[in-house]
Amino acid sequence: MSALITTHGLTKRYGGRTVVDGLDLRVPEGCVYGFLGPNGAGKTTTMKMLLSLVRPTSGEVRIAGRRMDRSTRRGLLSEIGSLIESPPGYGHLTGAENMRLVQRLLRLDDGQVARAVRTARLQDHIDRPVRTYSLGMKQRLGIAMALAGEPRLLVLDEPANGLDPAGIDEMRRLIRRLTGDGTTVMVSSHLLDEVDRTADVLGILGGGRMLFQGTREELFARSVPDVLVDTFEPERAAALAGAWGAVLDAGTVRVPGLGERETARLVARLVQEGVDLHGVRRETRSLEDVFMDLTREEAL
Amino acid sequence: MGSVRAELLKLKRSSSWAVVVALPLAAVASGAGNTVLAGEPLTDGWHTLWMRVVVVYGLFPLATGVAVLGSLVWRADHRGGNRNALMGRPVSALEAVVGKLAAVAVLAAAMQAVLTAGVVAAGKAVFGLPGPLPGQYLLISVLIVVVCLPVAALQSGLSMLMESFAAPVAVGLAGSVGGLLLVLLRFDAVSLAVPYGLTARATQVGTGAFMDAGTVTVGTLASMAVWALVSTVLVTVATAALLDRRDAG
Ligand SMILES: Nc1ncnc2c1ncn2[C@@H]1O[C@H](COP(=O)(O)OP(=O)(O)OP(=O)(O)O)[C@@H](O)[C@H]1O
Ligand SMILES: [Mg+2]
Repeated sequence: MSALITTHGLTKRYGGRTVVDGLDLRVPEGCVYGFLGPNGAGKTTTMKMLLSLVRPTSGEVRIAGRRMDRSTRRGLLSEIGSLIESPPGYGHLTGAENMRLVQRLLRLDDGQVARAVRTARLQDHIDRPVRTYSLGMKQRLGIAMALAGEPRLLVLDEPANGLDPAGIDEMRRLIRRLTGDGTTVMVSSHLLDEVDRTADVLGILGGGRMLFQGTREELFARSVPDVLVDTFEPERAAALAGAWGAVLDAGTVRVPGLGERETARLVARLVQEGVDLHGVRRETRSLEDVFMDLTREEAL
Repeated sequence: MGSVRAELLKLKRSSSWAVVVALPLAAVASGAGNTVLAGEPLTDGWHTLWMRVVVVYGLFPLATGVAVLGSLVWRADHRGGNRNALMGRPVSALEAVVGKLAAVAVLAAAMQAVLTAGVVAAGKAVFGLPGPLPGQYLLISVLIVVVCLPVAALQSGLSMLMESFAAPVAVGLAGSVGGLLLVLLRFDAVSLAVPYGLTARATQVGTGAFMDAGTVTVGTLASMAVWALVSTVLVTVATAALLDRRDAG
């Protein structure tokens, strides 16, 4: 798959603070790219730089191979739909009037607008003033506005923010439907769970730096689950395994970050010392744990 | 242009219309009310009425009113989502700025229409003045709309850059006071050059008030209109250049 978005050393500094730090992003064409990171990680700032809403301090953004900056933004933005931070919309206008704004700005035909409204499932509320919308409806209006120009790339910043579980699920299915038509979707979230099942590729940001970029399988493989040693003599075993960083945890010995070879060495040592072992296992971990570990390390 | 059509659509059911109606009607009411209460007759008919309503209106409320309109058309676009959407679309900075200017210009033109209609209504209904409003005042009404453009461009630009409702209105208020002082202190050239002074000068054309010659000549009207248009273009281009350099949010 060729990359639709690439960045090289993308950096943004505010005052002396580096909030996005040397990002090398690669978003393959036609995929859903889940852009993850805790609050303040720099997701919104990065997305704003992709759209040239914010100018990078250094580094560059390429969309479909072409450099994105203030002189090229107009041409490139005609192929991008976006929803950044809070959903747009004018409260004193109805949903339909808000859509007409976009129609006039982008010179769209009625069919394109109607399709976007239907895709976002907004048709039942379209004639009400937007100020009477629930957050979920506003979010869907934002999506419809972003979709109306039938963009090749959609950049959605926390589109599931404020949605109930049913709304989140609907958002997931909407994103899936869109990629079915060949649209590339970059979607950010601070919750792995929100994008885990939709995203083909994950990018995990922490403190402005890219902590991981790849598929969820690659993410799983990257993290080594803790080894748990079950024994009748946990104190002695923990002392012996101290060199491997073992800790006592509710009657079992927990050894974090141990590779296969090191695990074999540890077991051999314990057996050699005559410790009665009755179990050596890996703790099964959820992707959520892996994500939490990754971003927690960065926070320290 | 798409941006202009989009901005005009945003004016639908906008709270700006309250200002457009209330401000000129208040000017007409106070001008007519003073005349009735003070018992001073309209010695020169329509001319005296125009003087008491429009010249007073032009000395101060007009520029401030345009400043308020400039802030109102930007208000919803300062909110995060709209701001990002505005600049996240394939629309040049110049188109975005011209769209906003067009919206303020339409409101300013409507405000002038209300003012002129209000003068006519007061003249007929309250004072029973004979004949129609002299034709020169229709021409001057058009001129007033044109000289509102540089103020509109300046205030819209300030609203965009300051991302606040009150701050640009405060600047507009200070500008209006400055324009008033320039006229009261009879700084002829400067008061014509500065947008906030030019609005006051345009409302005085033909009345002989302050520095006005008292006659309406094509030369006066044309030179004011041309300078207004030139300064509008200068301010608009500068604002667009600033917007193009700035980070959104
Ligand atoms: N205009 C600005 N001026 C100064 N600092 C800023 C500005 N915009 C963002 N920041 C800082 O940059 C950092 C990253 O912010 P950003 O909004 O990109 O994070 P995020 O990952 O989107 O967080 P969240 O999940 O809360 O939306 C934060 O520490 C924020 O305070
Ligand atoms: Mg954010």
